[in-house]
Amino acid sequence: MPDPVTDFLPEPEPATELPELNPVIHGKLRLALLSLLSTVEEAEFTWLRIKTKATDGNLGAQLLKLEEAGYVDVEKKFVLRKPQTLYRMTNAGRQALTEYVQALKQLLGSAINV
Amino acid sequence: MIQQSREQELKDRLNLIEAMIAEGRQTTASWGWAFVLWGIAYYVAIAWSIWGNANIAWPVTMIGASVITGILATRQSKREPGTTMGRAIAGVWICLGISLFVFGLCINLGGHAEQHNFLAAIEIMLGAANGISSIILKWKPQFLSALTWWLAAALTCFATISQSYIIFLIAIFLGQIVFGAYIMIAEARERKQSVAHA
Repeated sequence: MPDPVTDFLPEPEPATELPELNPVIHGKLRLALLSLLSTVEEAEFTWLRIKTKATDGNLGAQLLKLEEAGYVDVEKKFVLRKPQTLYRMTNAGRQALTEYVQALKQLLGSAINV
Repeated sequence: MIQQSREQELKDRLNLIEAMIAEGRQTTASWGWAFVLWGIAYYVAIAWSIWGNANIAWPVTMIGASVITGILATRQSKREPGTTMGRAIAGVWICLGISLFVFGLCINLGGHAEQHNFLAAIEIMLGAANGISSIILKWKPQFLSALTWWLAAALTCFATISQSYIIFLIAIFLGQIVFGAYIMIAEARERKQSVAHA
């Protein structure tokens, strides 16, 4: 038996959905790397290692993940016969970081409002 | 409780982003030595041209100082990441070097090197390079260096030749040696502070 009152009531509006945090960026070291790369045009592996205080292996692995996600570009070259690996943030990386920060702020805003 | 730890985690992430951006913007590049080096190079060139061989004094000293600057700057830039601001500053000083070299060489070869114009042109170019750098870097002390060079250029236009050379020597001392030493002291202080904070 249909309920004549509730049938005509407007459907309740869905609660404002909280944004998902990008799991590729959410990792602490990957987030630190993208934040660092957002301040420079390009950076060498050694500079990133000094700034993040990460080990070579961990740093290489996290940079590879960012590269696979299309967030950083890698250039390998030789300068005065010494190998040099340069990392650059891509437009997709910049966009992803911006969206991550916005999502973070939105989540924190909702957490504070609760 | 879970919500509190989640909130703390999100705040940590936001703090991490801010800290890394601040870290990325911090530069360890030091340029005080370049000002002192060029100040000394000008003095050597002037002394050599007065008491030695006037024809080769300036070209040899300037090329020598350029080579030393190039080697030291390349070594330094290897440790620093590329930034737009760094490229802008490098662009200003590289173009100043080329301008001074072309101007100095051609005006002497062409035989039109009137000493007032020659000194005033060098001083005004150095003032422009320092002024542009100070505006890009938002760094007031460098604007004082620019003012020193601009004032020297203005005074040169009204001075006798011997007075012009004295003005040039004073401007080199204030704009290059004193300013370079000031930068070196400030850089040393900054390094000490960053070591203390580490």
